[in-house]
Amino acid sequence: MPTLEFAPLFWWGLPLAAAPVLIHLINLLRQRRVKWAAMEFLLASQQRYRTRVLLRQVVLLALRTLAVLGLVAALAQPRWRPAGGIAGGTATSHLVVLDDSLSMGDTTADADERETDAAAGDTRRATAFDRGRRVVERIAADLASSSGRHRLGVAVTSRLAAAPDAPELALPFTDMTPGSLPAVRDALGRVAAGDSAAGPREACAAAQRLAAGIGGPRVVWVIGDGRSRDWLGGDEPAASLRQIAADGVTLRLVDCAAEAAAANLTLERLDVAGGVPAAGVLVPVEVEVRNDGAIAVRDVAIDLREDGGGRPGVRIDEIPAGGTARRRFDVRFTTPGSHAIEAALPGDSLRGDDVRRTVIDVAERVDVLLVDGGVDAGADARSGDAFYVATALDPGAGAATGLRPRIVPPATLAATDLSRFASIWILDVERLDAAATTAVEAYARGGGGVVFFCGPRTRADLVNATLHRGGEGLFPVPLAGAVELLPDAKAATQPPDVVVEDHPVVAVVAGQRNPLLDAVRIERFWAIDRGFDAATQGVRRLLSLRTGQPLALEKACGAGTVVAVLTTAAPEWNNWARANPSWVVVLLELESHLAQLRRRAESVAVGSSVTVKLEAGIDEAEVDFLVPPDAAIVRQKAVATSGATLEAVLPPTAHAGLVEARWRRLDGTTRQRSIAVNVDPAEGRLERVGAGRLQAALRGVPFRYDRATDVAAVAGDVGGRPLALPLLLAVAGLLLLEQAVAYAAGYHPVRRSSAWSPRP
Amino acid sequence: MTRGSRRFLRPDAIARIHRLELRARAVVEGALAGLHKSPFKGQSVEFLQHREYVRGDDLRRVDWKVWGRQDRFTVKEFEEETNLRLTLLVDGSASMDYDGGAAAVPPRPTKYDTAATLAASLAWLALSHGDAVGCGVFDDRLRASVPARTKRSHLASVCDALETPRNAGMSDFPRVLRAAAEALPKRGMVVVVSDLLGDRDGLFAGLQLLRTRGHDLALIHVLDDDELDFRFDGPTRFEGLELPADLTCNPRALRDGYLAAVEAFLGQVRSRAAALRCDYALVRTGEPLAAALVRFLSRRASVAV
Repeated sequence: MPTLEFAPLFWWGLPLAAAPVLIHLINLLRQRRVKWAAMEFLLASQQRYRTRVLLRQVVLLALRTLAVLGLVAALAQPRWRPAGGIAGGTATSHLVVLDDSLSMGDTTADADERETDAAAGDTRRATAFDRGRRVVERIAADLASSSGRHRLGVAVTSRLAAAPDAPELALPFTDMTPGSLPAVRDALGRVAAGDSAAGPREACAAAQRLAAGIGGPRVVWVIGDGRSRDWLGGDEPAASLRQIAADGVTLRLVDCAAEAAAANLTLERLDVAGGVPAAGVLVPVEVEVRNDGAIAVRDVAIDLREDGGGRPGVRIDEIPAGGTARRRFDVRFTTPGSHAIEAALPGDSLRGDDVRRTVIDVAERVDVLLVDGGVDAGADARSGDAFYVATALDPGAGAATGLRPRIVPPATLAATDLSRFASIWILDVERLDAAATTAVEAYARGGGGVVFFCGPRTRADLVNATLHRGGEGLFPVPLAGAVELLPDAKAATQPPDVVVEDHPVVAVVAGQRNPLLDAVRIERFWAIDRGFDAATQGVRRLLSLRTGQPLALEKACGAGTVVAVLTTAAPEWNNWARANPSWVVVLLELESHLAQLRRRAESVAVGSSVTVKLEAGIDEAEVDFLVPPDAAIVRQKAVATSGATLEAVLPPTAHAGLVEARWRRLDGTTRQRSIAVNVDPAEGRLERVGAGRLQAALRGVPFRYDRATDVAAVAGDVGGRPLALPLLLAVAGLLLLEQAVAYAAGYHPVRRSSAWSPRP
Repeated sequence: MTRGSRRFLRPDAIARIHRLELRARAVVEGALAGLHKSPFKGQSVEFLQHREYVRGDDLRRVDWKVWGRQDRFTVKEFEEETNLRLTLLVDGSASMDYDGGAAAVPPRPTKYDTAATLAASLAWLALSHGDAVGCGVFDDRLRASVPARTKRSHLASVCDALETPRNAGMSDFPRVLRAAAEALPKRGMVVVVSDLLGDRDGLFAGLQLLRTRGHDLALIHVLDDDELDFRFDGPTRFEGLELPADLTCNPRALRDGYLAAVEAFLGQVRSRAAALRCDYALVRTGEPLAAALVRFLSRRASVAV
């Protein structure tokens, strides 16, 4: 049933309703006495008007008492609550959505705020999350002391985003009384700003569904740090908040961030920058740092660790304000397996984004598949195109590249497991059967790198029909025919046949005229269809001929890359592979380029699940995951997905660090793999949205915005309909009516006339 | 105040004259200026004697023959004139002690003071014309009284009777008037000065008795301004001066009913007085007594003519 609620002040003020009666009694005591002669007339009048006089007095007293009661009630914060719903009855339910994303760990403060750190037995600088926690405590205290029933539930954004349909509340809905405050504090003490990137944008939809399932008056509090990335761009969280408001829920937004601008450095990226992750081979790694401050930062030291051990760090001379800077360094691991690299910045106001990890899976050797069209099954593969490519990719002793070329004839391609190869080189193959074509295409689309060399065995009709397929297939361009590159008769000296285009593969030989590349002579090549517009088809040149025709082109295929070199690898149509060092350099760069996607270091974002793929019949179907921060073991069963592949999935992680997956093989050996879990570097963008832009972003959504320091008592916003103003208006009406009745009853003083007029 | 009464002394000024005789004289002198003839004189065919002319005598009664012969003004007195007996009955009951209290601005005399002053004024007027004047103060019985005499020095006796300390008990009109009717030997004029707050049926029965005995009647009704206007404010406890009753009320709430009752009372008194051919005059304690006297005497004079 509907209820009318008042603050405790109402009950203290209730005795004031007796004031009119007391005043009436006091006035009776203060009456004047008159010795009167004409009592008979007075008594006659009293007899005649007794009822009317009594009625007026009663009405007057009642009006005055009601006015006093009304005034006391109006001052006692009255609220009218309609009948409650299924859950909660007539209580007002308050759902607090507390942002526990990484950015809430920002310690930028307007004042020297400190927070007690019970674990360390000391104090530390307060974070935005600490301020948010204090806001929740203040809300709880106000609800506990206000009149009426109030329930409080607290949810953190990371859990709301992780399980939007069945979120786990940090504090289940609890009736707010002074006795429940310790439980609130305990619950809040168990939550902290984590490494998650899930903020209001990710959590408000779940909050809306949660609030919609609650009956009665509701208030949703979104407490966060008001970052632009949470509120600007995209439909969320505006769409969810609009729905929340449309559901009749009162919306309060509280900003816990400091007004002072945060100057933050973020480790944006730590990744393998090429090379071959093989034992004993130098692998280039690149680190990128972003400066979100208003001024440039100089001489930034980056600490590096390999597999937990220290190693020399690197320095960045200057990072411009609002900009990024990169730095490369090399790592070399002598043993195969997962190797972790960790980079760390000096601590600043937000420490969570100052550390980043990556894991490189180092192999003994990295297999590269060479499909040589000139090799029959069982024939010697140490001649022809494959020989020259293999020699470049694996020169042999003294020049370890980490690559291990595997040469196969085209007929065995379909039966070969392509997934274990870093790249596939198809060298002057006359035809690929449908199965092989499908397998290679799948390999490329899955992120693999494929390179074609075209020579005398290449058949343009088959290439165009089965591999190019009008641009839908694997091969980047349609072939026209093999042609000779004639000397330039007009030139006094022959210009170089090969022109280097702007492409990272050939960047090492680009720039000034390179005598090694200038020495390359192309006698014959495959021309492409004149009507083909490479630019519009997304095809990019690596090398061109002096005639302007393409020599090497690249095209993306799904997630992978395909390169077509329109001449032979062997020195049959050209002299490149014959004792020209640039051949080795370019091929190694090409291999690195083709394999970079598959060779990318393993890293997932906090809040993502971690998947480990196993082989059915080889690996046991159970994986132990050691989860940061304390290496807790989570055992997961591996389930079959497709073919002979099993997958074990670790549920979404909550902390950054290294996840180690361990499992046993059927032969008794153990395997392990490391996966780096990193924070979302965007959490380091601490730019605040501000009240003005927030209003614009949430246009049409009724809400109240407060800074954390300004959130005072919630008495004015505890759900229900406030009745103070209507009651005050009613009291004013009562007082007017009281005056009218008092005038009619003769209680108003008369203005006496000093002149007398004799009666005739 | 009316234009005419501006000439008269204000009631508070009259009240400050402590001696009733002097007070009456002040009232009469103020009144006489407005009078053209004595209201008490009638016409008779029986010549009785000459007497010296005094101011106020009707010039038509001046004996011009005597003036012609003796060069002095004399008037003819007839038998009826020398037989006027004025009996003044003044109500001295408790209800006559009301004077408006300290709240009265300007202060007013009590109803009794007003009645006594009026009675003394009438006595002085009548004695100055050679009429016999008797007086009595009553409440539940006739208390102080003086027989009718014609000597001018009798005014002091009348004033003494009026100034005698009173019992101020309850009024008993029928008893007093019956006693007066039996005590008066001859027909004359009886003037009752009272607030008439009592047994009105008994009052008019008594007056009827006097009328039956051939007396000429006049009723001077003295009431306080408060009793006529009832302008009270604020919680008040009214305690009866004669009636053993009290009432706590908001006076303004009862004013309309009170005034209606007073109006009915006055109307009833007037009509019953008229039925008895009794002169009636309502006198407020707040009005100048000379004006009230003039009003009464003028009315008498117009009736007499």
